[in-house]
Amino acid sequence: MDASLVFAQFLSGLSRGMMLFLIASGLSLIFGVMNILNFAHATLWLVGAYFCYTFWFLMQDYGFGLWLSIPLAALVLAAIGWVIEVVLIRRVYNRELPEQLLLTYAMVLILGDLIKIIWGVEDKLIDRPPLVEGPVFIFGMPFDSYFIFVILVGLAVAVGLWWFLQKTRYGHIVRAAVFSREMVSALGIPIPRIYSGVFALGIFIAGLAGAVQAPIGSITLGMDMAVVIQAFCVVVIGGFGSLLGTFVAAMIVGEVYAFSILFWPQGALVLIFIVTAIVLIIRPWGLFGTPTRA
Amino acid sequence: MKFKITIIVCTLMLLGGFTIAGSSSAAEPYHLGVNLAITGTGALYCKDGVDAIKLAVEEINAKGGFLGKHSVELFVRDTHTKPDVAVREAKDLILRDKVRAILGTYSSACAVAIKPVAQEYKVLHIPAISNSENITKVNFSPYTYQVVPNSYMQAKAVVLGVAELAKKKGWKNYMTIASDYEWGRSTQNNTVALLKQLAPDLKLKKEFWPRLGETQFTSYITAIMGQKPDFVIGSVASKDNVAWIQQAKAYGFFEKIPYPGSLISVSELIVQSKSLTRGLVGLCRAPFFAHLDVPMMANFVESFKAKYGRYPSDWAVMEYDAVYVLKQGIEKAGSIDTDKVKDALKGATVDTTRGQLYFRKIDNQLSCSSYIGVVADDSKYPFPIYHDVVEVKGPDSWRPEEEIVAARAK
Repeated sequence: MDASLVFAQFLSGLSRGMMLFLIASGLSLIFGVMNILNFAHATLWLVGAYFCYTFWFLMQDYGFGLWLSIPLAALVLAAIGWVIEVVLIRRVYNRELPEQLLLTYAMVLILGDLIKIIWGVEDKLIDRPPLVEGPVFIFGMPFDSYFIFVILVGLAVAVGLWWFLQKTRYGHIVRAAVFSREMVSALGIPIPRIYSGVFALGIFIAGLAGAVQAPIGSITLGMDMAVVIQAFCVVVIGGFGSLLGTFVAAMIVGEVYAFSILFWPQGALVLIFIVTAIVLIIRPWGLFGTPTRA
Repeated sequence: MKFKITIIVCTLMLLGGFTIAGSSSAAEPYHLGVNLAITGTGALYCKDGVDAIKLAVEEINAKGGFLGKHSVELFVRDTHTKPDVAVREAKDLILRDKVRAILGTYSSACAVAIKPVAQEYKVLHIPAISNSENITKVNFSPYTYQVVPNSYMQAKAVVLGVAELAKKKGWKNYMTIASDYEWGRSTQNNTVALLKQLAPDLKLKKEFWPRLGETQFTSYITAIMGQKPDFVIGSVASKDNVAWIQQAKAYGFFEKIPYPGSLISVSELIVQSKSLTRGLVGLCRAPFFAHLDVPMMANFVESFKAKYGRYPSDWAVMEYDAVYVLKQGIEKAGSIDTDKVKDALKGATVDTTRGQLYFRKIDNQLSCSSYIGVVADDSKYPFPIYHDVVEVKGPDSWRPEEEIVAARAK
């Protein structure tokens, strides 16, 4: 086996893993802090892709169009996330998990129909700017230059989230709220506002991931369902609520997928689910989760 | 006198009213079902299909409907590209909306799933997008008529071209990449089997099966490029095909590895007008620009453009033909009775936008062509089209009848 082929496969696994991390990190954050299993997370990711398309469409004549569209889409999604938390999610904090799932699944259907109404059913395609249109060569192997941007965004989100949770006062409050909402509340810190902020941040990352995904292929209805299962696999393997776990699990899933395509193409998806099942059996709380969350 | 005139006028009006009422109850409307993937993977192709059906129905209704008296009422349902949904919607169309024919379908899995339903309820079934040959080859239904070149015909068309190229360029081995579902599998299997016959020295190095709905093909691209096959044959469907081509292009895939005969329909030519690599050798099923010499095609393109402000894709062309095939079947039968129409279409010659074609009796497959050409810019259109188009005729590419008989006997 050629070493350059193994390296190219590693890079493609890395880019796939980074994309999965971007999608799953918001999901994990929201569950870790708020105990809400947001089934609509991937649909909001898709909405982010559509918003990115709209902004790009309006600015396509300018070279910076796509680069500005990505953060704009993420910001719009953060605002949408805030509204969803205040209007809907806040009402199901103390409900059972099936009710939360029902609500968020209803959101999947509603958002799907809204996408149809706003953007129509045709696929949308973003033309990449020349800078990221072609390949770059790493050790002689071609690599899609846009995925370097994807990897950088993924790393930035990982570092940014870590810094936010570990180093800022607001992050400390959020982490404290995971363990005892009552204690945080007793200190005079408004829990609802913290939760709105965390939910908006989670959806901001989903929107960012969707916007980053947008120029990779066409944007179409149904993409979210293909992604949501893999995002859940990542979160399950890594451990719900663990940022480090989500990152490591996303890399594992990305690399397992990439290398199984090389050695056993028919079994690429199966292997991911096998890994998920093994983790669920041996460590139900995930590789980096804590048993109390299981 | 005034009273008498009033009586006469009233009598005439009543008689007239009865006559109109009588004729309208005799000429019942024709309920036509459409079972397409309005959302999901197939949406890119199906929107055009639905629009073309609507246009055809409008044209026919403007002349009074089928046989000049049965106005056509459309019932459009979304299969979400899922066979179970397609079956549910087909049953609903038949039982609730009382449709006499169902046009469709996107995804051969959906077509195969609703075929027995249509047969059970004696409803005509005309797939015009999905094209697995299993729709008509095995478990034959006399109610199913195929107006799209099937996967065998398309594969043979590609193979004829590829075998020729392999000889010229000295190719020794190849890989395949195909969407992992009914159509992808059957197209790939046919291509590989035919290549074995026509170019026995070619070696299949590896097969890749991305799942339907795949959004990221990078790992497939690097795996293929790293193993350096002489060429790659692809059967990737709809929006997956857009993503695959887009991403492969970003890797410089097409500059390094020949990729002849993948499905690049007019939809892809339009959607990827800026990004599609020029010089690719593509395959399509019903490109309008190959038949502008047929008056029906020229008129259709004009009407479609006038109504929707865009050019019709292959899928629009074939769904439009499906409606007119049905119309001609009804005219030949002289009735909208489904069994009579079904019998009338058996072996019938029909006028289509792709010229005069006929249904083969053994499998109800239309003798339509497959098209191979080089993607190139053309000053007449705002998107690239095919140049040097090779039209492989249906009768030159469809599966021999004896093989169909043998397959059914198994």
